[in-house]
Amino acid sequence: MTGLNRRRRLAAVAVIALAAVTGSACSSSTDGPSDGGAYLVWDPYPQFADDSEWVALLKKCGTSAGVTVERTGYDTTDLTNKALLAAQQGNSPDVLIVDNPVISTLAEAGALTTTDDNKLDVSAMEKNLLGAGQSDGKTYGVPIGANTLALYYNKDLLTAAGVDPATVTDWTSLTAALTKVKAKGKKGITFSAIGTEEGSFQFLPWFWGSGAQLTSLDSPQAVSALTLWTDWLKQGHAPNSVINNTQTTSWQEFATGDYAFAENGTWQLANAEKLPFAYGTIPVPASAGGPAPAPTGGEFVSIPVQKNTGRYQTSQQLVACLTNADNLLTTDTTLSYVAPVAAVQERQATADPKLKVWVEAVRAAKGRTGDNLGTKYPKISESLWTAVQAALSGGKSPQEALTAAQTAASTR
Amino acid sequence: MRATTETSTAVRDQGGAASTAPPGPPPSRARRPNRWWAWGFLAPVTIYLAAFYAYPLYRNVELSLREYTVRSFVQGGAPFAGLDNYRTVLTDPAFWPTLTHTVVFTAASLAFQFTIGMALALFFHQHFPLSRTLRALILVPWLLPLIVSASTWSWLLNSDSGLVNAALGVVGIDPVNWLTSPGWSLTSVVIANVWIGIPFNLVVLYSGLQAIPAEMYEASALDGATGWQRFWGITFPLLRPVSAITLLLGLIYTLKVFDIIWIMTRGGPTGSSATLATWSYRLGFGNLLPEFGPGAAIGNLLIVLALIAGLVYIRIERRQQLR
Amino acid sequence: MTTSTPRAWWKTGVGLVLTGLMLFPVYWMINVSFTRDQDMRASPPHLFPTNGTLDGYRAVLDQQLPYLGTSFLVGLGTVALTVALAAPAGYALAKLRPPGGPALSFVLLIAQMIPGIIMAMGFYAIFLTLGVLNTLPGLILADTTLAVPFGVLIFTAFMSGIPDELLQAAVVDGAGRLRTFWSVVLPVSRNSIVTVSLFAFLWSWSDFIFASTLAGGGDHQPITLGIYHYIGNNNQQWNAIMATAVVASIPAAVLLILAQRYVSMGVTAGAVKD
Repeated sequence: MTGLNRRRRLAAVAVIALAAVTGSACSSSTDGPSDGGAYLVWDPYPQFADDSEWVALLKKCGTSAGVTVERTGYDTTDLTNKALLAAQQGNSPDVLIVDNPVISTLAEAGALTTTDDNKLDVSAMEKNLLGAGQSDGKTYGVPIGANTLALYYNKDLLTAAGVDPATVTDWTSLTAALTKVKAKGKKGITFSAIGTEEGSFQFLPWFWGSGAQLTSLDSPQAVSALTLWTDWLKQGHAPNSVINNTQTTSWQEFATGDYAFAENGTWQLANAEKLPFAYGTIPVPASAGGPAPAPTGGEFVSIPVQKNTGRYQTSQQLVACLTNADNLLTTDTTLSYVAPVAAVQERQATADPKLKVWVEAVRAAKGRTGDNLGTKYPKISESLWTAVQAALSGGKSPQEALTAAQTAASTR
Repeated sequence: MRATTETSTAVRDQGGAASTAPPGPPPSRARRPNRWWAWGFLAPVTIYLAAFYAYPLYRNVELSLREYTVRSFVQGGAPFAGLDNYRTVLTDPAFWPTLTHTVVFTAASLAFQFTIGMALALFFHQHFPLSRTLRALILVPWLLPLIVSASTWSWLLNSDSGLVNAALGVVGIDPVNWLTSPGWSLTSVVIANVWIGIPFNLVVLYSGLQAIPAEMYEASALDGATGWQRFWGITFPLLRPVSAITLLLGLIYTLKVFDIIWIMTRGGPTGSSATLATWSYRLGFGNLLPEFGPGAAIGNLLIVLALIAGLVYIRIERRQQLR
Repeated sequence: MTTSTPRAWWKTGVGLVLTGLMLFPVYWMINVSFTRDQDMRASPPHLFPTNGTLDGYRAVLDQQLPYLGTSFLVGLGTVALTVALAAPAGYALAKLRPPGGPALSFVLLIAQMIPGIIMAMGFYAIFLTLGVLNTLPGLILADTTLAVPFGVLIFTAFMSGIPDELLQAAVVDGAGRLRTFWSVVLPVSRNSIVTVSLFAFLWSWSDFIFASTLAGGGDHQPITLGIYHYIGNNNQQWNAIMATAVVASIPAAVLLILAQRYVSMGVTAGAVKD
C-alpha cells in the first residue's frame, strides 16, 4: 500500500508546516543570519554575475574584514519590498545597497541604522549627493556613485539641419533647433514620461529649470514646463510613445539615428560609444538659459538594523572598504557613474575627458528627497507623473493637470 | 440502443459535475454508507490549504483592518482602523472608473478567450496531419515569463515604432496610440490578455471534447445531423460542466491579472487601463512609499467579487442539476 | 488515425495559419533577440533581423544554462506534488461526495484569489521559520499553490464524468476505495492528469513572484530570475532578455509536444472502456 504511505508522509509534512505557520504567526521573527562568518549583501545590480568586478570587490572587502560575503543582486523595483519584508521578519542583510529615494522610506520604517550607530565616516561625500540619504539631521547611508540627466545629441543630424549645439542654451533655442530638425524630415527629441518614478525623474530638470518647486506643483513656472513638453508632442517634435517610454526605450529610439536629442543618463555612456553616429552631450537647459538643476540618481550603501548590534562593526568595515577612493573609482567606472567624492571625480575626468560634462552636471544636481521632503516626496512625485501623463495624453490641459496634482499631493 | 443509455448516464453525471455543488437533496443513487470516510482522500489537500493559504489570507485581512505605515509594517503596533481603509478606497474618485475597467476587462477577456479557445479546440479536435504538434505549439506563449510576453506586446503596439501601426499604415489607416491614449489603452491590454488566455481555454476545452464518447457522434451521424446541429445538440450540452469550470477559473484568473497591464501601461495613461488588481498593486508595492492598508482592502474586495461569482456558479449548477 | 485525404491537408493548412497567427508575438520576440540596439526601435520596424547580432545568445549561453536546470527540477517537483494532492481530492469530491465537500471546493476557488504577492509575503514568514527559504523544496511547495486549487477543480469536473457503473464494477470485484482509485480512477483519468500536470508545469516555469521572494537569495534560481541579469537598475539589454526567453522555451516546447503525443496515445488507449 505505497499509496497510503505516501499520503501519510504528505500529511505529516503538512502538519509540520501547519505547526510552523501557527508558530510564525505568534513570534514573527527569528534571528538574522546566525552564521558569524558570513555577511549578507543585497544590491540592485542583478546584471553583475558572480565573475564580475563588482562581486570580486565585495569578496575582497569581505576578506580584508575577515569575513565571507554572501551577495545577492535583486531587481531594483523588487528590492524595496524585499527589504521591508526582511526588516519586518528580522532577516535584513548586513549591507543593503538601494536606489537613493528608497533610503528615506526605509529610514522612515526604522529599518536602517544612522551614522551615529554605525560610525560610518561620510565627511568626504559631496553634500548635494549625501542629501538624499539624510533626514532630520541624521544620515542613513553613503552614496556609492551618482548619475544624472543631460541631453545627448546626434552630431551628424544637427549638422545636416544646420544647428550648432552650442547655441542651445534655453528652451526657446532648443525648440527652434527641434523645428529645424523637423524641417529636415527627422525627429526632434525623445525622453521618458512613463507613469512611474522614472517619469518624474525625467521631468524634474524641466520642472526645476522653470524655477518651480516641488512644494507647489501648480505654480505658473511648473505649468510652463509641462506646456513645453505638451507642445512638443502636439507639434510632432517628440514622439507620442514617450508617454509609455522607459529610459531604455527612449535610448533605443535615439540609437536609431532618427532623433536629434535624447534626455538620458550617465549610465548610457558605455552604450553611447557603440552608437552608429557621432554624439555629444549638453546640459538640460533651464527656461531662462544656463543649465537646469537635474535630479541626482544612483545608489546608497546602508547598514540595516540587526538584532545583534555587534555586527555593525564589521559591516562598517565592509562599507568603508566599498566606498574608499580606489574602490569607488572601480565601481563607478563599471557602472558608468560619477563618484560621490570630489577627489575621485577629478581622477575620473582626467582619465576620460568625456566625463567632464557629467561631473559638472552631477555637481549641479539636486536630490529628489532633499529640501527635507523625505517621505513626502513619493506622494508629490506620484502626483507629478500623473499630471504629466494626463497632459501628454491629451486628457487635461497642463494647468488642469497640475492643479489636480497639487490637490492630490497636499491632501493625501 | 446501448449507446443511448450510456449517453444519458454520461449527461446526468456531467451535469452533476458541479465541483462546487452542494450535496443538496441526495439523488436516489447517493445512499452511500459512511460518506465521512471520503475525507481520507481530502485530508492532504485540506491540511495543505490550512497550512499555506490561511496565513496569507489572514495577513491580507489584517493589513486591511489596521492603519499601516511603513514604520508599523516593519516595527508592528499599527492601530486598529476598522473599515477606514475600505472607506478610503470606496470614496476615492478613482474607485468607480477602476471598477468599470475591471468589469470591462474581465468580461471582454473572458468572452474572446472562451469563444476563440472553443473554436480552436473544435478545430484541432478534428485530427488532421500535424494537429497534435500545432496544438502543442499554441501553448508556447505560456512558457514565456510574463515580463517577456507583455513587453513583446508593448513592442508591437508602440505608437511610433510598433509593427501594428506600421501594418495599419500599409493599408492606409492612421496610426493608433494603442498604449498612450486613454481611449485605447484598455483595449490594448484586453488584446494581450486574450492572447495569453486562449491556450488555457483551448487545452481545458479540448480535454473536455476528448471525454465525449465517439459513439455519440456516430449515433447522431446516423440521424443525419449537420455539424452545426451536432455542436448544439451534443458537444455543447456535454461540454457544459467543463465550460462552466473553465469560465469560472478564467473569471478568477482575469480578475487577478495585474502584471500584463502593469508592464504594458502601468494602468495608465491617467488610470485609463487601471483595474482593481493593478490599483491594489500600485498602492501596496508599486510606489516608493507603500500604502499597505488600502492596497490590501482592494485585494479583499476582489476576493469578495470572486466569492459572488462562485455563488452564482453554484446556483446555476444547482438549477441545472435539479432540472 | 484519420487518413491523410486532401481535405485533411487543407485543414493542416488552416491549422498552420491559425498557429502562425497565435505565435506571431513569439516570432517577434525571436526577431528582437537577434536585433542590434540601434535597430530595436527602427520605424518602420524590421520584419527580419537583417544585420542581426548574436550578442544576446552569447550572453545567454554563457550564463543561463544552470537556471534552466533549476526550472526543470522545480517544474517536475511541482507537477508531482500537485497531482498527488489534487487527484485524490478530485476523486473524493466528484464520486464520494462527502458532507462538507462543496464547502471545500468553494474555499479552493476563493483561495486562488489571494494576490500572488500577498501569498509570497506569507510564505516568506513561513519559510523563514521552517528554514526552507532559498531551497528547491521551498520553491516547489510555493509553486504548487498556483496549481493545486486548479487541479482539484479540474479533476472534480472530469472525474464526475467517469460512469458510476465502472466504479461499482470494481467494488463488486472486491476492490477497496483506495484500490478503486489507484487502479480504476487514475488510469481512466490520464487525460485530466496530463492537463493538470501541463498547467502545473507551465505555471511553475513562468512564475516570477515566488521565485524572486523565496529563492532570490539562493543558489537555486529558476530561469525567470536569470532574465534579471539583463535588467539593470537603469538599463535593459532587450536582445539578451528575449534570447533567454527563446532559449528557455525551446526545451520546454519540445517537452510539451512530447507530452501531447503521449496524451493522445493514452486517450485512445484509455477510451476502450470495456
